[in-house]
Amino acid sequence: MNSIPRTLWVGGVIVGGIVILAILGPWIAPFEPDAFNVRSRLQPPSVIHWFGTDEFGRDVFSRVLAGAHHSLLMGFGATAISLAIGVPLGLIAAFRRGWTEEAIMRGVDLMISIPPVLLGLLILAVTEPGLGKTILAVGLVYVPIMTRVARAVALDLLAEDFVEAARARGEGGYHILVREILPNAWPPLIVETALRITFAILLGSALSFLGLGPQPPDSEWGLMIAESRPFISEAPWIGLAPGLCLCVLLIAVNIVGEGLRDLLDPRLRGRGH
Amino acid sequence: MVTDPLLSIQGLSLQYATQRGAVHALQDVSLAIPRGGAMGLVGESGSGKSSVVLALLGLLGEGASLTCDALRFDGEDLREAAARLRGQRIGVVFQDPAAALNPSLTIGFQVAEPLIQHQGLSREAALARAVTLLGEMGIPRAAEIARAYPHQLSGGMKQRAVIATALACEPELLLLDEPTTALDVTVEAQILDLLEKLRRERGVSMLLVSHNLGIVDRLCDELTVLYAGRVVEQGRCAPVLAVPSHPYTRGLLAALPRLDRGRMARLVPIPGGLPDLTQPMPGCNFQPRCPFALDACGAPQLLQGEARLSRCHRAAEIEGEAWPIPEAPEAVARPIPTPLLVAEGLARSFGGGGLFRRRAGTRAVDGVSLTIGRGEVLGLVGESGCGKSTLGRLVLRLISADAGHIRFDGQAILPEPSIAFRRRAQIVFQNPDSSLNPRQTVDEALRRPLIRFGIASGEEATREVERLLELVRLRPDYRSRYPHQMSGGEKQRIGIARALASRPDFLVCDEAVSALDVSVQAAVLNLLTDLRDTLGVAYLFISHDIGVVAHIADRIAVMYRGAVVEEGLAAQVLAPPYHPYTEALLSAVPVVGAQGRAKSRIRLKGDVSSAQGSAGCRFAHRCPRHMGAICDTVTPPMLAFGASHQIACHLPAEQLAAMPLALG
Repeated sequence: MNSIPRTLWVGGVIVGGIVILAILGPWIAPFEPDAFNVRSRLQPPSVIHWFGTDEFGRDVFSRVLAGAHHSLLMGFGATAISLAIGVPLGLIAAFRRGWTEEAIMRGVDLMISIPPVLLGLLILAVTEPGLGKTILAVGLVYVPIMTRVARAVALDLLAEDFVEAARARGEGGYHILVREILPNAWPPLIVETALRITFAILLGSALSFLGLGPQPPDSEWGLMIAESRPFISEAPWIGLAPGLCLCVLLIAVNIVGEGLRDLLDPRLRGRGH
Repeated sequence: MVTDPLLSIQGLSLQYATQRGAVHALQDVSLAIPRGGAMGLVGESGSGKSSVVLALLGLLGEGASLTCDALRFDGEDLREAAARLRGQRIGVVFQDPAAALNPSLTIGFQVAEPLIQHQGLSREAALARAVTLLGEMGIPRAAEIARAYPHQLSGGMKQRAVIATALACEPELLLLDEPTTALDVTVEAQILDLLEKLRRERGVSMLLVSHNLGIVDRLCDELTVLYAGRVVEQGRCAPVLAVPSHPYTRGLLAALPRLDRGRMARLVPIPGGLPDLTQPMPGCNFQPRCPFALDACGAPQLLQGEARLSRCHRAAEIEGEAWPIPEAPEAVARPIPTPLLVAEGLARSFGGGGLFRRRAGTRAVDGVSLTIGRGEVLGLVGESGCGKSTLGRLVLRLISADAGHIRFDGQAILPEPSIAFRRRAQIVFQNPDSSLNPRQTVDEALRRPLIRFGIASGEEATREVERLLELVRLRPDYRSRYPHQMSGGEKQRIGIARALASRPDFLVCDEAVSALDVSVQAAVLNLLTDLRDTLGVAYLFISHDIGVVAHIADRIAVMYRGAVVEEGLAAQVLAPPYHPYTEALLSAVPVVGAQGRAKSRIRLKGDVSSAQGSAGCRFAHRCPRHMGAICDTVTPPMLAFGASHQIACHLPAEQLAAMPLALG
């Protein structure tokens, strides 16, 4: 009955395409992403090197392909972590109220008051950098927002009569939260998740740019942009290619988020008669 | 004398474009209001009442297409002139005064705004005029109120301010869309008095849209009954309501629980629901629900008659024939009620405490004791905010009590009750949309209590679910439905079935029929009565609608600001002696066919929220029979009239007994 919004189609196709390219990367890449070729360094885009080559003569297109899975992993992985920690915290805070809620929400306030990049830096500074750590750091940065969204959604739902009916049956907290609340909380949470992925990808790339993500010679879009800086005037394509890819991915994920919101949020759908 | 009517609608049809195709919201609607006249427009929700108002104002949204032969106001074509006339010569009052006022502007400015806009008055002059208007609307200390913001006013005061705004430019026509539906019955009576006075003194014409036939009967000379976008009956108000001609009008009246009818009389539910408006029927569109329908009803029906119009070709033929009343199942012999639930001194305050500062809480329920016998229905009435719902949740231990004891079937019920008590005491809610989990099918919703209380599982539970559906008169295939696939009445039945799944002895019905249209309400009330008779379930029946409570309850308790002020058998509470509050409450109920009652009406000043102080009688500040200092300082004693009737009042018993009948 509900037609899928066009935005969801467009965004979904682009994101799906990028995911497929990232998976197929090793097979379809024309060159080894790490293969040096000193004779063809800093070549502009051509038929052989679609996105040109970098200062070591590595094929930028192959490196962008190889780096795609890093960006995607950071986006989806970090969001999954924030969801896995934030949603239970938010639900418990809403359900228990009182001191439990105060403790959780003030802790969350504390986390939210630290700028995300600084928090990411802090987490990464005490450990060795690496992809897994970056994902964890970015995930933790977005826990507070997920907690708040989950709590707000749950508070609304807990005021519904069907929850009171469950209490009148003497149901426990687990049943009420998992069976009554969670199924109704998904639509707003999914929308929030989709939009959150955008920020996670961006923050992950920013941390990589600062050297706190995957380490060279691995390729990652944020890292590639950082490496291209010295050559920005003579060979702008080195940074432009991953930058543009990042833009396309972010916009597509964002469009998917908005499409999901239109699909799942009845308030924005406009009630049909 | 032939004069043109002030408002004339002829052949108004309206369609809304939707994904499912065009919805024919109004089909060939005609009505006329003479200067100084008042027309009532009634019908169930979805019948198109509000669409008429929006069409007159030219405020139909996008996707609406309107056709009509004439839409004239005092000779001007409203299709072109609506934007210019509304707010000036046509005033409008909507249902919810809280939504109609801008929360960030003062009351005075909002009343003055149309004067500045339309009449070009200066700000000062307009504000001065606004204060006068507010005063005329019966608002005390008008100059002070004009400087207040909406949230500082009670609902009744807000609605007065909205009416003042609508009247600012002295319109000739006032459109009233359910103007008192959001208000308590005593406040509603005040607003109706005000509207009556405006008609009498200013000669304002009115179009009153309402689902409440009692209100229409009080205020209007003429009546138009709308069903699924078509006018089915039209004529003078009193005769139409006394002897309705169209089967739908008859059904509406027969479905209404009335104070003046016998208790527990069967109500007439109108089966089925509104037809699909995307495919309007050529013939009578009420035919599928009509007990008088014949094959010939498939032919187009004309609105015919002389003084009174009726869209039914059998109107003359079936005159005097009553709606068939569904058979009641045989009542099991009811034992003499022995106490099932005994509550003593229940109390609960809200809003106290706080993390950083101590505040004085509001005492929602303040030392209430009550007893409900096996298979007995105790009706609980009172205005909103009196603590009815809180009390309902306290006796179920759904919220914790500050003080008091509860005994159920002889056993003390502790703040964390056993699962056995949970099984035996259940609740039915007001809002059918909120009471069912939107992500659970009917089967899941009904199966859960069966499993939870170890009543049945697997195949046996499936059979039990089907039995429950049968109990609430729904087909077994409803098992697989989700809430959004059902109508309000059907959802309410599922809510009742869920409460009955654990085979309880006691149900709290918290405004269980208030959100339903009368025709559906009648069906649910009949169902509740039958369940009481066949299963012996006891109810605490909470409602603001005294007609409904009078219909179903064995005993009635009247609550005011957290305490029970009167309690007794239904017949005792509905007849003198009354508590002064009960008297006012009964006197305020708009009743169909009660013209001439106005003179003897008792009116309360202010409303519940204008209460102050906790010493003395809670009702003292509004009491029309206030005796003096004793009422303000000393808690009134419980006076007993016979074994079962009690009134908390300082007035001498003889004086209470000498009160006139407040009803009819």
